[in-house]
Amino acid sequence: MESLTDRIDETISDGLDWLNDNWSGFFDALRLVMEGLYNGIEAGLTFPPFFVIAIAAGLLGWWAVRLRFGILSALGLAFCALMGLWPETMQTLALVFTATTIALLIAVPLGIIAGFRPRLHAALLPVLDMVQTLPPYIYLLPAIALLGFGPATALAATVVVAIPPALRLTAHGIRLTPVNFLELGQATGSSGMQMFLKIRLPFAVPSIMAGVNQCLMMALGMVVIAGIVGSGGLGATIYDSVRTLSIGKSIDAGIAIVILTMILDRTTEGAIGRERKAAA
Amino acid sequence: MENEPLIECKSVWKIFGDRSDAAIRAVKERGIGKAEVMQEFNCVVGVADVSLGLGKGEILCVMGLSGSGKSTLIRLFNRLIEPSLGQMLLHGEDIGSMSLERLREVRAKKVGMVFQSVTLLPHRTVLENAAFGLEVQKIDKARRHEIAGAALAKVGLGDWLNRYPHELSGGMQQRVGLARALASDPEIILMDEPFSALDPLIRRQLQNEFRQLSKELGKSALFITHDLDEAIRLGDRIAVMKDGAVVQLGTAEDIVLRPKDAYVEDFVAGVSRLHLVKAHSVMHHVGDFQSRQPGVNPATLPAVPVDAELDTLIQLMTKGHQDSVAVTDAGKLVGVVTLRSLLQGVRGREPTEEIAL
Repeated sequence: MESLTDRIDETISDGLDWLNDNWSGFFDALRLVMEGLYNGIEAGLTFPPFFVIAIAAGLLGWWAVRLRFGILSALGLAFCALMGLWPETMQTLALVFTATTIALLIAVPLGIIAGFRPRLHAALLPVLDMVQTLPPYIYLLPAIALLGFGPATALAATVVVAIPPALRLTAHGIRLTPVNFLELGQATGSSGMQMFLKIRLPFAVPSIMAGVNQCLMMALGMVVIAGIVGSGGLGATIYDSVRTLSIGKSIDAGIAIVILTMILDRTTEGAIGRERKAAA
Repeated sequence: MENEPLIECKSVWKIFGDRSDAAIRAVKERGIGKAEVMQEFNCVVGVADVSLGLGKGEILCVMGLSGSGKSTLIRLFNRLIEPSLGQMLLHGEDIGSMSLERLREVRAKKVGMVFQSVTLLPHRTVLENAAFGLEVQKIDKARRHEIAGAALAKVGLGDWLNRYPHELSGGMQQRVGLARALASDPEIILMDEPFSALDPLIRRQLQNEFRQLSKELGKSALFITHDLDEAIRLGDRIAVMKDGAVVQLGTAEDIVLRPKDAYVEDFVAGVSRLHLVKAHSVMHHVGDFQSRQPGVNPATLPAVPVDAELDTLIQLMTKGHQDSVAVTDAGKLVGVVTLRSLLQGVRGREPTEEIAL
C-alpha cells in the first residue's frame, strides 16, 4: 500500500518537474502578466495619500449603502493607516482586486457556457466541488513550484479558490431564465444572440453579481493565507508576527483584514441591491 | 369567413412520450385513434387530429379545461412546439417546413402572441417592453418608441410609458403585453389565456376592449380560454376541446343550443341564454304557428327582428302583457315566439312541436 502512495506522490512530483522543465516559458509569462497587473493596481492604490483612498471608499460606501456606512468605511481605512499598516492594507487590496479580476475573466464566460451546456456543467461540478473542499493551502505548493516565491504564486492560488463560486452562480443565473420569457423571445422571433443578450443575461445579472461578491470574499480569505508564500500585504504581516510571536502586531493586522472584509462585502452587496431595486 | 383561412391546421397531432416516434408512425400508417395511441404506446396525446381554420378578422376561441391540450395547440400555430403530424398553414405556406430564418420573420411580423403569465421584462420601462418585438426586428429606437407609444395609447396606457412593470396592476400589465403584440402589427394574434389571472371585473373590461380593438384593427385572433363566458363574449366561433381533440366547433349560439355530446352539454348547462340566444332560434315558423293557432293574427303582434336577444323578448312580453311576439326578417314576418318557446329557449332547448300559448 505504502509503495502505491509513494508512487502516486512520485508521479505528481515528476509531473510538476516536467511542467517546470517544458512549460517554464509559459509560467514565466504567466508570472509576468499577473505581477504586472498587480503592480499596476498596487501603485494606483498606494500612490495617493491614504486619506484620498479613504474618502473615495467613503463616498462609494455612501452611494452603495448609506451615509453612515460611508463614514465608517472612511474611518476604518484611516484607522488602518493609523496602525501603520497602510501599505500592507493596500497591497492586500491590490492582490484581491487582481485575483478577482482574473478569476472573473475565467469564471463568468465559463459559467455562461456551462449554463447553456448541461453536460459541461455536470462535468465541471465535481471539479468545482474538489477545488472548494480541498484545504486552500494545497494550492500554494504547486503554485510555488511553478511560479516561485512572490505575489504571482499568491495570485494563482487565490484565482483557483475564487473561481468556483463565481462560476457556479453565473451558470445558475443563466440556467434559471423563466420559461415564459424564453417563449416570449421565441414568439417575437429573437435570434439566439438576441435571446442571450436581451433575455437570459438581464435575468442572470443578480446571480452573477452575487458571484462577484462571493469571488471577492474568497479572494480576500485566500490572499491572507498566501502570506506564507511571500504575497506581501497583511497576510505577510500576520505570518511574520506568528513566526516572531508578536501577538499585538498580528491582532492589528487581523483588525485591518476585518475592516477590509466588511467594506468590500457591504459595498458590493449594496451596489447589487441598488441594481436590483432599479430593475425590480 | 371560413372559405379562406388565414392560418389553419390540418389534422395535426402532438404526441409526447418515450415511444412517440412509433406512435406517430402508427397513426400515419394504420390511422389509429387517440385511445389506441395512449393504450398501445403509453404516450400522452397533447393534440389529436385537430383541424381548425382562422378566418380574416375572426376571433376564434378555443375553450377547454386544463389538460385539454389547448395551450399545446396554440403553440403549434407559431411553432413554439413542433407538430408530430399534420400541417400548419399560414396563407397556404407550411409553417412546419419553414427555415428558421423565415420562421423568425413570421413570428416577428405576422403572428404575435400574448401570454397568460405576465412576461414583461422587469428591468425595462413599459415603453421599452412594448417596443421589444420591434427591437428584435432591429427597428431604430426613435421609430420603435413612436410605434410602441401609439400601441400603448390604443390600450389606454399613454400616460405610463416611463413606468416600470412592477408599478402597474395586473390588468395594466396584460395591456402592455397586448400593446407589445399589436406594435409589430401582426395579422394574427395568439392569445394564450391572457386574462385568466385577472379579477372578474377587470377581466370583463379587458375582454370588451380586446374585442373592440381587434375588430377595429381587423386582426384575427386565436384566443385560448378555460372560461366559457369569456369564449362566448369574445368568440365569433368557439372550438370546445377535450383530451386533445376538438369536440365541437361553432358559434356560441350553436354550442349552447345544440351541444354535440354530454360533455359540451354539461359545460353549457350553467350559461345564461338571455344575451346569447336570438329570436330566430326560439321562434315557431310562421306557417306552423298559423296552422296550430288560427285564432291569432301574427300581424297584430308586436314585432322584433330575428337577431333580437331573449332578454329583449322577455322585456317586451312582461311589459306589454303579451303572450306571443312576431319575428320579422327585413320587415317580413317569418315566425312567432310564444311564452312557452321562450321559456324553453331560456333553458337552452329549441322549440318543441307543440305550439301553445
